[in-house]
Amino acid sequence: MTSIGTGYDLSNSVFSPDGRNFQVEYAVKAVENGGTAIGIRCKDGVVLALEKLIHSRLLKKDANKRIATVDRKVGVVSAGLLPDGRHFVSRARDEAAQWRSIYKSPIPTSSLADRMGGYVQAYTLYSSVRPFGVTAIVGGWDSEAELGVDGQVGSGPKVGAGGKREGAKSGGPYLYMIEPSGLYWGYYGAATGKGRQAAKAELEKLNLADGEISLEQGVKEAARIIYVAHEDSKDKEFELEMTWVSSLEGPTKGHHQEVPKALREEAERLAKKSLEPEDEEEEARVEGGDRMEE
Amino acid sequence: MNHFPHGWGRPRDDVYGAYNHAYLQPDGSKQHTQSPIVTGTSVIAVKFKDGVVIAADNLASYGSLARFTDVKRLRRFNSRVVLGFGGDVSDMQHLDRLLSTLSIREDYSSTASESDNAARELNARNLHTYLAKVMYKRRSEFNPLWNAILVVGLDGESQPFLATVDLLGTTFSAPTLATGFGAHLAQPILRRAVPDEAAVAEMTREKAVGVVRECMKVLFYRDARSIDKYSMAVVEKEKEVELVEDEQLEQQSWAFAEGIKGYGTQTV
Amino acid sequence: MFRNNYDNDSVTFSPQGRIFQVEYAQEAVKQGSVVVGIVSKTHAVLAALKRNAEELSSYQKKIIEIDTHYGIALAGLASDARVLSNFMKQQSLASRLTYDRPMQLADITARIGDRAQINTQQYGKRPYGVGLLIAGVDATGPHLFEFQPSGVTQEMVACGIGARSQMARTYLERNLEQFEGSNREELIRHALRALKESLSQDKELTVDNTSLGVVGTGDAKERFRLFEGTEIQSWLETTFENQGSTQEGEGMDVDK
Repeated sequence: MTSIGTGYDLSNSVFSPDGRNFQVEYAVKAVENGGTAIGIRCKDGVVLALEKLIHSRLLKKDANKRIATVDRKVGVVSAGLLPDGRHFVSRARDEAAQWRSIYKSPIPTSSLADRMGGYVQAYTLYSSVRPFGVTAIVGGWDSEAELGVDGQVGSGPKVGAGGKREGAKSGGPYLYMIEPSGLYWGYYGAATGKGRQAAKAELEKLNLADGEISLEQGVKEAARIIYVAHEDSKDKEFELEMTWVSSLEGPTKGHHQEVPKALREEAERLAKKSLEPEDEEEEARVEGGDRMEE
Repeated sequence: MNHFPHGWGRPRDDVYGAYNHAYLQPDGSKQHTQSPIVTGTSVIAVKFKDGVVIAADNLASYGSLARFTDVKRLRRFNSRVVLGFGGDVSDMQHLDRLLSTLSIREDYSSTASESDNAARELNARNLHTYLAKVMYKRRSEFNPLWNAILVVGLDGESQPFLATVDLLGTTFSAPTLATGFGAHLAQPILRRAVPDEAAVAEMTREKAVGVVRECMKVLFYRDARSIDKYSMAVVEKEKEVELVEDEQLEQQSWAFAEGIKGYGTQTV
Repeated sequence: MFRNNYDNDSVTFSPQGRIFQVEYAQEAVKQGSVVVGIVSKTHAVLAALKRNAEELSSYQKKIIEIDTHYGIALAGLASDARVLSNFMKQQSLASRLTYDRPMQLADITARIGDRAQINTQQYGKRPYGVGLLIAGVDATGPHLFEFQPSGVTQEMVACGIGARSQMARTYLERNLEQFEGSNREELIRHALRALKESLSQDKELTVDNTSLGVVGTGDAKERFRLFEGTEIQSWLETTFENQGSTQEGEGMDVDK
């Protein structure tokens, strides 16, 4: 980074002469030190997975969940500063609740990503705040069924105008990734955190754009990719945290939930097995940070 | 009464003189709801040994018009709480949305293990306390939610719980409860079956369901704002909530109608 | 002279993505005297070492009861802890009033965590300079949470924070397997021993400088209670049998 120390990197919302906002770039650094997080968009749902580094034996096992639910069918996983991730989730929940109070129905995943993109971007605009030190992956299932309105008590008239179009389809799996700049894209497979390069390489091999991969396959691939991405920091222990959200007919019935223990353990077993014969991959090492980053 | 609803319920100018606008807001005092609009009638419930039965019919009336005939006035909150709403239907919908927001928020702090989740879920007593606060706050703002609510389910000790809260924020608990006309027509019948907590311990689910069905029939006979389609829910220990929303009143007997003289289309 | 330009406030990232003001706040925790917390299947215990400003002054308050079912132990700026504990007390009372339900420990911990995070992202604010151990029981059993100035909160089986607390943590890690099955008395003794590990050579635990907080659930249900002074005499005697009646050494600083 050439312009470090020239003074343009000391305050948020300030451009350097070559048009960069250094504080945002530094926030990205905080993300790059965090444990790897990925999301996979499958044909019948979305899987989120996280490499949760365990830095103390005194931590309670299987507690301290990091992948959060927003409204009932969206999951959020983030890499970077833990408390910033919680702030992000808390705002996402407020947005979802506010959406419900206006529209009387759950927020579409795309709208949630859009609003959160806007929120995060606002933290790059002012010198009185700092950008978010997280990149968040937002995955959800928008219901394919015809939803009632919140608080609906009856079925309404059986004949007459209903505004329904014959054969119209909606809903499905959605996956977005929001960066500290506020920038966000939709993804077939998204990865962030320390092991993102290795994870991205693995995700690309899956041909996710074809939309062929099933949710169960997705779970197994997600576990494997986290294990591959962990190769870099092999010395540290980690817990694999995985959640998923499926269609209404699928295993989670449209809700965002933790992947059942049995399935997760099976996926982990396969992941470990797949790694055994291979040689470790070479990746650029990033130096570790303080305890705020996992 | 005249045709200016704005003036209804206010001191009449010809009696008290014109309102002095210097005293309060220029357009007089502020008014909130004075009466419910679309309404549901009675809700009845009775405790038995291992749970609670609750029922309400599926009608929403607009004054004396039977306006909506498939309205669900029993709402399941979670695996151990059901709410029954009487009174204004739009206020009920408002509360329903309030509770679904609450339910979503509660899910956020869920833990890893299923058994822990059951322990931390809001129980019937928690929800009744909460609703009592909501209702009392609104009545204290002179803007009540025009409902009478029965909260049924299991409390923190997994014991049957039954309590009511109304538009004034009044709370009450008893082995049997009924709102609206039911308080006059069904409550005596329910009390005969379950006079006290001792009787609750003897009560079976079958008998409780039986007496509730009987009451629904009496209410349909005597309450002009009722309908013969109703919903019934049973919350029982260690079981999922059973909620049936399309019950039909069976074995009605209108033979007595022959003998009634004096109104209707008959010629005396 | 070298000067770190990136440590003036909590809204500036360093080129490595660190926030120095937050890290400095974590240092303030290490200035406070040590506190320890452990949970078993039935109990949660807090133990704290209290300092006094001088021989004739009183000792500081290290353990605060928040509600009947839980309390906190603090290390660092005591006044920041008071702000947080007041907030926790209000929230806990609100939970009882609104829902007739004791506050869940995970929920209250998340709430102070969220509050602390705001202090690390806005200009004109500073991070809290205190670390907390939140210990108690709720509908899902006994819990122990650690709170840090950064807003990081995590559930622990056992934990120690404050000056020289690494020694206490080492003791806790060595005896980790025993805690879950420990009874009330064993758990208290573990907490006291862990605390003792963090003391400098010339110091002893006495009835004056030691605080204990104990709470139980299930069959061993008991409300959160603070034990100090002569109440803890017998525990000190049974835990450290060869202990003489020692007075405190010198060089005892106060928490800022």
